[in-house]
Amino acid sequence: MILLDRVSKVYGKEVSALDRISLHVEQDEFVIIIGSSGAGKSTLLKLLTREEKQTSGKIVIGNIDYDKLKDKEIPYLRRKIGVVFQDFKLLPNKNVFENVAFALEIVGHSSREIKHTVPKVLNVVGLRGKEKRMPAELSGGERQRVSIARAIVRQPKILVADEPTGNLDPRHAWDIIRILEKINRFGTTVLLTTHNQEIVNKLKRRVVTIQDGRIVSDKAHGEYKS
Amino acid sequence: MKRDRSLKRWLITVARLTLGGIRNLFRNAWLSIAAMAVMFVALGILFFTVVLNVTTSNAITELSRNLKVSVYLEDDINDEQRFELETALASSPYTADLEYISKDDARARFVENFRDDEALLEGLFLVGDDSLPASYEVSAMSLDDFDRIEAIATEERFEETIESITLGRTDARATIERAASAQAFITSASALAAIIFTVISVLIIFNTIRIAIFTRNEEIRNMKLIGATPWYIRGPFIVEASMYGVISGLLAVLAVYGIIYSIGPNIANQDEFRATFELFTQTSTVLLATIATVVAGIIVGAFSSLLAMRKYLRLKHW
Repeated sequence: MILLDRVSKVYGKEVSALDRISLHVEQDEFVIIIGSSGAGKSTLLKLLTREEKQTSGKIVIGNIDYDKLKDKEIPYLRRKIGVVFQDFKLLPNKNVFENVAFALEIVGHSSREIKHTVPKVLNVVGLRGKEKRMPAELSGGERQRVSIARAIVRQPKILVADEPTGNLDPRHAWDIIRILEKINRFGTTVLLTTHNQEIVNKLKRRVVTIQDGRIVSDKAHGEYKS
Repeated sequence: MKRDRSLKRWLITVARLTLGGIRNLFRNAWLSIAAMAVMFVALGILFFTVVLNVTTSNAITELSRNLKVSVYLEDDINDEQRFELETALASSPYTADLEYISKDDARARFVENFRDDEALLEGLFLVGDDSLPASYEVSAMSLDDFDRIEAIATEERFEETIESITLGRTDARATIERAASAQAFITSASALAAIIFTVISVLIIFNTIRIAIFTRNEEIRNMKLIGATPWYIRGPFIVEASMYGVISGLLAVLAVYGIIYSIGPNIANQDEFRATFELFTQTSTVLLATIATVVAGIIVGAFSSLLAMRKYLRLKHW
């Protein structure tokens, strides 16, 4: 599903963010990527969404080879990958329903399709009844749920979550993790970056540790011990 | 089936972008008003320049038609010489109309024109009834053509056929020529004003879109990250700027037609303005003028927004 082969990312001439990283993620896997700040976790996810371009190495997702990807094809790649950000990145002047609907609008879904799909997804993330609320009226946890709803509404095969619990208190953090697990059970590959050791320990999933831009450990489901 | 679906999606997207652009127009209300006001002036001047130009050139053409070159013939020429001259004048592309005035006609006209002036009529009787020469009266297609007609008549082969050539009312020609040069000046000045205001419009719209891009910077970034195509992001800005053109264009047409309908009926009873007034008030002309002005507005608006986006909307490097 996701294949990274000796991928490096160097900023400018000397700042190496990732150094020859190789990683293979199967379909339906739930992979947690951990590492201290600046280790290269976010850079890795940015490479997958093509916010950044690798300096060297090969990235293949499904049948898409990133080396052959043209600029004009990038929006279509992003439509296949759901992304959840630490700072939510919601549109402040759109309500909950409109924020989620927006992901469908940009691909040309009709209003009828949108009215049919969005409530179902809001149900999955536990936001039913809050469709009309503006982002400013929501708690951090609720905003992150909106962000997840927006990421999964197009039913992507891959969901990339970059520190989605970073700004949340423990209770809300666990709510978000449970939603991600639910999405994974539905058949979506999930890549989650986090600092939260408690989440890593309790989830018992495959854990990839990055340090100074290199993968220093890759423990299969349940093998990781902090 | 798949094709129908993608066409449907495309149409839905176009409708959404259009609505988005209109929403932006109201979101930046004051900036929009400023941009539209200047564009209204630019398009108004542009359209008014066209109206003024057509009106004055039609009037000058109409006045020129009334001017005639009189080519007076020698008394002793034969029919062959006369027909040679007539053929040369009639076949010229510069000739609008040609009339032969025989000696009898000339005398009859003289008597008609001066029937109250006994002294003159007595003078004519004294010098002889056939003392007035036969002539050709030639109307030209335009003011510039008089010299060309005169050049034909003064060709060497007609040296013995023609006694003299006069341009009917010389003062009138000078007046019309002055009007024509005034028209050229007014047209150039109006065109220059239209260009200046168009450039100002472009700058103001450019700035309006630039500010809109800065204000929505974060939103644009989010749109990119969730898979919006560059044209989906550009669309509302182009629609917004084009709407400035549509609204300003319609207002400009309304304003200029206000002037045409308030002044027009007062001058339409004069021959030189009647045709022009009728032309501009025809439904087809009103429609054409509206479409042309609105399209000009859309071009200026879309061009300005594309310039601003090219500079400030960095979509190339995803």
